[in-house]
Amino acid sequence: MTTSNAEANADASANGAAIPTPSDIASAAMENLTKLDRFNELLNTKAPIALTPKRCVWSLNKAKLYRYTPVVPEDQLKPVPLLLVFAIMNRPYVLDLRPGHSFVEYMLRQGYDIYLLDWGIPGPEDKDLKFDDYALEYLPRVVRKLKAITGADEFSMLGWCLGALITTLYAALRPDDGVKNVVLLTAPLDFADREAGGFVKWATDPKFNADRIVDTFGNVPGEMIDAGAKMLKPVENYLGSYIGLWERLDNPNSVEAWHAMNTWVRETIPMAGAAYRQLINEFYKENRLMEGTAVIRGETVNLSKLTASLLNVIAESDHITPPCQSERIMEKIGGDDHTVLRVRGGHIGIMAGRGAEKNTWPHIDEWLAARSS
Amino acid sequence: MSEKTTFDPFDPTGMIKTMRDKGMEAWAKAMTEAVNTDAYSEATGQMLDTWLKTSGPFREMMQKLVAQSMAEANLPSREDITRLAERFTNLEMRLDDLDAKFDECLTLLRAGGSSKKKQKSS
Repeated sequence: MTTSNAEANADASANGAAIPTPSDIASAAMENLTKLDRFNELLNTKAPIALTPKRCVWSLNKAKLYRYTPVVPEDQLKPVPLLLVFAIMNRPYVLDLRPGHSFVEYMLRQGYDIYLLDWGIPGPEDKDLKFDDYALEYLPRVVRKLKAITGADEFSMLGWCLGALITTLYAALRPDDGVKNVVLLTAPLDFADREAGGFVKWATDPKFNADRIVDTFGNVPGEMIDAGAKMLKPVENYLGSYIGLWERLDNPNSVEAWHAMNTWVRETIPMAGAAYRQLINEFYKENRLMEGTAVIRGETVNLSKLTASLLNVIAESDHITPPCQSERIMEKIGGDDHTVLRVRGGHIGIMAGRGAEKNTWPHIDEWLAARSS
Repeated sequence: MSEKTTFDPFDPTGMIKTMRDKGMEAWAKAMTEAVNTDAYSEATGQMLDTWLKTSGPFREMMQKLVAQSMAEANLPSREDITRLAERFTNLEMRLDDLDAKFDECLTLLRAGGSSKKKQKSS
């Protein structure tokens, strides 16, 4: 038997395919079990993320304002502080994902005085919070505190995703508050094109009843929002991501990046019910911001009053906020210092992906630096 | 070379890998296109709405039952806690308003202090 097995192996080897011996099978099994163990560990543990030193300088309800510890001497800090405003249905630390690959870390090195607004996790008592509250109750207070701390009269704002929508509302409604520069990242502002992809087709369908969702849950569960986002690209999100991880398990850099991103993606948070209702009914379905009919706390949002310098960063392969949703604002805003930056990549990838440090961050820095003196 | 051609029965994702190699890209594209159709939007909207509508009465019944049990056990209900949290938030707003006034006073005092110093030195 042994001789015939050996002969068969020899023949097979000659043909380019070896028949595995029991010891080959055992070692392959061990190798895969070890891989499986590591795979499970990565799926079920949290990566060390958001480690850049910061301290909380203001808080209200669940919202917190953090100041990152500057890394350049005080006299080399740029005089115009930078306020980061992230979306309301995800945690903001994707802006400071992991040491060595963090937008915040990068900008601190360039000499910015950086403040991060964390909206927090809404509780049942926050179900009535609307964009009106975020833009005209919380943000003005944040800005006041930021000015009190820094002594600066002017500041820059960087809003990402729904944070960009809130930033736009604020900058258009309070242009005299000292907003010098506005950076919008993948801003969902214009929902006229139903065929654009993303959530617009689902959200604008007459059968989609945002009122019933909110009436049922109060706040919209994070899992529901997450499932919606993942269903936009179901194969990639539910399968591709994990297969990719399995295949790259022996690449520490790749694994570290995946683990950090997965830690962020997994932390889903609910969205305040009234804000969700407003987003779907007033912004998605009626496109009020672009139509000029959006009313926030009794004030009509006139985009031509947004006169700050504006950098509009558009992700060319964004499936959550397709480029057309961010483009038309350029025709509507006031002022005369507007720039569009198109970056190859997706909604999150352009800021947190591997290419961000080369393709996005330096351009934002370059644009802001020229306007932060 | 031989590793690639050898079937590995202990690779748990072997089957999926083969499937992906053969057509995952096409599958992903087809699925993305499918979820972007009017039919899919209508179907998911309808399903979600029906589910919420039919499960609503049960959910309400459960909520009432829990609220009743909490009241009987002399424990605060979810609504009580929510109301309390709202009051805390209102208090925080008042504190923030006071903080704003305090900051203003400090700014004025500092401005006043520096102008007095200037007067003295002149």
